[in-house]
Amino acid sequence: MTQRKYSASSIGPQIDTFLRTTLGNGGFQVNYSIQDVDPGEDDFETPDVVVKFSGQDVDLLLSNRAELLLAMEHVTMEMLRMHSDDHSRVSFDANDYRLLRIEELRLSAVTAAEKVKRTGVPFRFNPMNSRERRVIHLALRNEPAVRSESAGSGPGRQVVVYPAGMASLPEPPRGSAPPPRRGGPPPRSRGARR
Amino acid sequence: MKQLIEDIAKALVDIPEEVSVREVQGEQVTVLELKVAPSDLGKVIGKQGRTARSIRTILGAAGMKLNRRFTLEILE
Repeated sequence: MTQRKYSASSIGPQIDTFLRTTLGNGGFQVNYSIQDVDPGEDDFETPDVVVKFSGQDVDLLLSNRAELLLAMEHVTMEMLRMHSDDHSRVSFDANDYRLLRIEELRLSAVTAAEKVKRTGVPFRFNPMNSRERRVIHLALRNEPAVRSESAGSGPGRQVVVYPAGMASLPEPPRGSAPPPRRGGPPPRSRGARR
Repeated sequence: MKQLIEDIAKALVDIPEEVSVREVQGEQVTVLELKVAPSDLGKVIGKQGRTARSIRTILGAAGMKLNRRFTLEILE
C-alpha cells in the first residue's frame, strides 16, 4: 500500500470515543486496543491502523461471518467521514479473523485461477465486499494467464475470473441481486459460503 | 437502545441537534424510529443502504443480549 495516511494518534481518540459510547450503550463486553501497523514487506493488505478486540463478547462480534465486527468497522469509518477508497486503511479484528480470511481468499483465488486455466471456463466468486474483492484481484495480478474483474452491483457485486483473452460475460440480469433497502428489516437470506 | 441509536446517528450526521429517536414498544418487537435532518438522510443510510444495514446489525446484536427484538425505522 502507498504511504501511511492515518495513525493511532490521528484518528485513535475519535475511534475510542465512538467505540466506548457504542459498546457501552449496546452492553457489549469487549475490550479493544487501537494500534499502528508496521507496513509489511509484500503485504498489500496491510492497513495503517488496526483495532483489536478481545473479551467475553468476541464470539458475538465474529458470528455470522463477523457480521457485527464488520458493521462496527463500517459505521466507525462513516463516523470518521473516511472516503471509501481509504476504507482498507483501518481494520477491525478479533482472534486474527481478518488475517485468516485474507489467507483463505488468496488460496481460493489461486484455486480459481488454476481451474480457469485448466478448463478455459470463467469462474464466478460469491458476492463479496470491496475489500475482499480487492484481495482476490491483487492475488491474481501476477497470473498472466487469467484476468479478473468485478461484476454486478451493491451487495451482489462479485469477482469473475476469465482466461486472459476472453471477453467479459454479460452482466447477470438486473434484479438478481437484492435491491438496496431503505426501510424494513435487514435481508434474511444468506447464501452458502462458497 | 434508544441511546445506542441516538449516539450512533449523532456521530454520523452533520446536524446532530436534529437527531431524534422514538421508542415504540410492541408485544414482540420494539421499534426505534430515527429522525434526522433531510440533508443527513444519506449519512445514516449510506451507499446501497450499507450504513443503515450496519446500524441494524449492531442493534440486533445488542437486542440479542437482552433477549428482545428491535427494529430500526428511518423516517423520511
